[in-house]
Amino acid sequence: MIAVLCLTLPLLAGAASPGEPGAWTAREAEHLLNRAGFGARPAEIAYAVRRGREAFVQELLDGYPEDVESFFFDPPTPPKEQYTDGMSEERKREIRVQFKRDDRDELGHFASWWIGQMLDGPYPLRERMTLFWHGYFTSSYREVKLGGAMIRQNELFRAHALGSFRELLDEVIRDPAMVLYLDNDKNRKGNPNENLARELMELFTLGEGHYTEEDVKEAARALTGFTARYDSGVTFRPGRHDNGRKVVLGVSGRLDGDDLLDILLDQEQCPRWLAGRLLRYFEGREPSAQRLDAYASLLREADYEVRPFLEHLFSDPEFYSDEIVGRRIASPLDYLIGSSRRLGVQPPPRLVWLAAGQLGERLFDPPNVKGWEGGPAWITTSSMLQRGNLAGMLLGVVRLEDVVRPEPPVEDADPDGEMSMTAAEADTDPARMKKKDLGADMFDMRRMLSEFYWPGIHLTARLQRADVRGDAAIVDFLCDELLAVEVSDAGRAALAEFLVAERADLGLDDDELLGAGPEAEHVLRRLAHVILSLPEAQLL
Amino acid sequence: MNRFPHIDRRELLRAGAAFAGWCALPAGALASPILGDDRHSLLILQLEGGNDGLDTVIPYGDDAYHAARPTLARAREDVLALDDYRGLHPELTRLRDEYEAGRLAIVEGVGYPDPIRSHFRSMDVWHAADRRGRQLPEGWVGRLCAARFADRTDPELVVHVGNEVPYSLHSATHPPTSFVRSRSYRWAGDSREVRAYEEAAPAPQAERSTEAAGDGTDPLDLVRRALADGQASSDAIRRATAAYETPVAYPAGPFGEALREVAGIANGDVGSRIFSVTLSGFDTHTDEDQRRRSLLRVLDEGLGAFLEDQRRTAVGRELVVMAFSEFGRRLVENGARGTDHGTAAPMLVAGAAVQGGLYGEHPSLTELEDQELRFTVDFRSVYATLVADWFGADAKRVLGAEYPRLPLV
Repeated sequence: MIAVLCLTLPLLAGAASPGEPGAWTAREAEHLLNRAGFGARPAEIAYAVRRGREAFVQELLDGYPEDVESFFFDPPTPPKEQYTDGMSEERKREIRVQFKRDDRDELGHFASWWIGQMLDGPYPLRERMTLFWHGYFTSSYREVKLGGAMIRQNELFRAHALGSFRELLDEVIRDPAMVLYLDNDKNRKGNPNENLARELMELFTLGEGHYTEEDVKEAARALTGFTARYDSGVTFRPGRHDNGRKVVLGVSGRLDGDDLLDILLDQEQCPRWLAGRLLRYFEGREPSAQRLDAYASLLREADYEVRPFLEHLFSDPEFYSDEIVGRRIASPLDYLIGSSRRLGVQPPPRLVWLAAGQLGERLFDPPNVKGWEGGPAWITTSSMLQRGNLAGMLLGVVRLEDVVRPEPPVEDADPDGEMSMTAAEADTDPARMKKKDLGADMFDMRRMLSEFYWPGIHLTARLQRADVRGDAAIVDFLCDELLAVEVSDAGRAALAEFLVAERADLGLDDDELLGAGPEAEHVLRRLAHVILSLPEAQLL
Repeated sequence: MNRFPHIDRRELLRAGAAFAGWCALPAGALASPILGDDRHSLLILQLEGGNDGLDTVIPYGDDAYHAARPTLARAREDVLALDDYRGLHPELTRLRDEYEAGRLAIVEGVGYPDPIRSHFRSMDVWHAADRRGRQLPEGWVGRLCAARFADRTDPELVVHVGNEVPYSLHSATHPPTSFVRSRSYRWAGDSREVRAYEEAAPAPQAERSTEAAGDGTDPLDLVRRALADGQASSDAIRRATAAYETPVAYPAGPFGEALREVAGIANGDVGSRIFSVTLSGFDTHTDEDQRRRSLLRVLDEGLGAFLEDQRRTAVGRELVVMAFSEFGRRLVENGARGTDHGTAAPMLVAGAAVQGGLYGEHPSLTELEDQELRFTVDFRSVYATLVADWFGADAKRVLGAEYPRLPLV
């Protein structure tokens, strides 16, 4: 540990530069809460500033795990245990179909539970790291087809979220969902399957270019017999294991899976790989070679413990530099959960799960073995528009039917080319949109929105409490509360113009808006909708 | 070649409208400078779940077919016979008419070496046009766009109508515009909100790059660009689909609606050249006959209407449809009056510009490989034909290797 101290002291020495030790700004505190948690409420920022950085980072790392209500997993009985002698094939098929439905529903409940933890749980950093591992060690329900196995894997990530990468890796190669996802149940002596061996090197420990095809073949032999069934608990079948000599990355012997992990973890490249992935995730950009070296050393010296790595990162002045703060593209969950927290609304977790899925981040369904690409890959033409629409729904100023509305007749298009809403469109009868018209997810989302959600915020009162008056001040206040990135002066001016025009309609003077009751609230929510649709709202 | 490489869509529309008003040019005089030399376009139709090739182009004249499928096999009088050996599924009456008229090409026995039976991974092979699937950074259509449409920077070039964008369209330089219904491809706000939104979120200053966005790109600029593209294409696409009028009746339901969206955009001078639509439900492990009858009716009615519609217009006559599935199904039926994941299956290529007829070779039902049909045509031969002969691009560059082409177009 002496080596760690020698390494970290010079880095830490610069950390306390702004004034006394532990002092930090609201902007820095907000940044930490955005990246290490899921967005900051104003009161949380104030608390973090009061507490001081050092103490607050410790609180964040510790969390309040004893306050987390665990998920109760009620496993459906496997079909084979339900079969009886002489049961018809028809009946057996019904049992299988019912099992599949129950198993999938259980995973849906778990997704809601998890998103609930992100929205309002007592240990946000652990959920953030669980999400990181879910994208790092991907498995997909689409392939695994066992919700129970996906839940178990997620609990594994949670248990090791800030712990030892060495231990986590050790568990992952025996994890039923991973074994199924990467076909290691088919990896046996004499008939090896390279899938797990390859991803272990390419995605989990080293990265491409740091091993040969021959290493993959040999590693696959070392992993023969490592299987996992989530119902029986069997993790190794000696009869399937290839006991012969292998050579992996220059090390030879009668290697098995545990030997293989030791070899991989001993590589200079391994801590560099993991440090790079962690830095890119939390900082949103490629680290410099020097920075990567420093953090790789830290990880190696700490024997792959993740907590000291994070503690160091969250205390590192460079983490709070202008090149990093507000320059990461928010993932759909970052956007939806962060917006909800900043607004103070409490959407049903299932709604957030479905909405994030519409935007490309559906938990338990990563796009491929590499997980979510993140960054610019979140941006598509429709996802940018839909993010704004979803913010409008959270604010209660956009209905799903406003987005999914039929086109007006051609002659209603304005001559200048803009489509404007017509009376006929506004009258769209929601009851006419059936499941087959909306699609299952949208249909479910509409149900969530109409039956289980109302915004439950009072922006007018919030502004009055803060004693904010006048168009410009209202715009400044809401931009500051709702966004992590500053809006340009021109942008603020355009938003203030919106208030001017709205006030003119209502016949109110500059400082009279907040006294206008429900009409004022409606104006403010529409303004918030525009703010959350801006490019600046997509960054944190 | 595109003579107006950096035209902003809105400016073009505004300029076009003003110009047309001033000079009173005949309609069509301003037709799409964006489109360049030709208007060749492609609709990729993805039949998801593994379409039973032997129940699409049915080898009713083969004894081995009847032996392998005691409950599912169709007799001669039940198929739409094309010759003494094969016939189309009884629901495919419109496609039979297209075939008779010489506008439908059937490529038989399409597959690839060492076939994968997983839906997901086999689909990846088709999307990447490569065994490595998603390990490749772009799909084959993305690579086609980089080769053929390097000068196109507008967002409407590639349009996917549906939920999940296929990996084939994945591209760093030509990301697709995608939506489920054009009517919901919008930012929902009243006109005053829209004005505030547009003024507060100005389009980025920098030119839209045709290079992949690297680490040096300002993330705020990236988002601004996508939002501006979204707003711009949203207007153009909704305008095109809302304005589209056709005497052809498309069938009700998501598939027919998606095809009608494609027709509207293709004929609406939006500049789109590649379209993508998915029809799913082909994973017929059980009660196949009943399920396939309704599914193929949907396919036949939708595609039949679409092809009829495209024949009416100059743009439509230069649109080719290519239909594929991730694999066919097994020769031998299973115990549940269905079939399990198999290998080779026919691909369909249709349109006014297509040289109809039979291509490739029907896979033998007796000389099998691992008890399954042996493919006779690599699917990349069909891709190579479209890349080189339809779009005039370098097929080797796009597909990574040379594949024999077929005289389809």
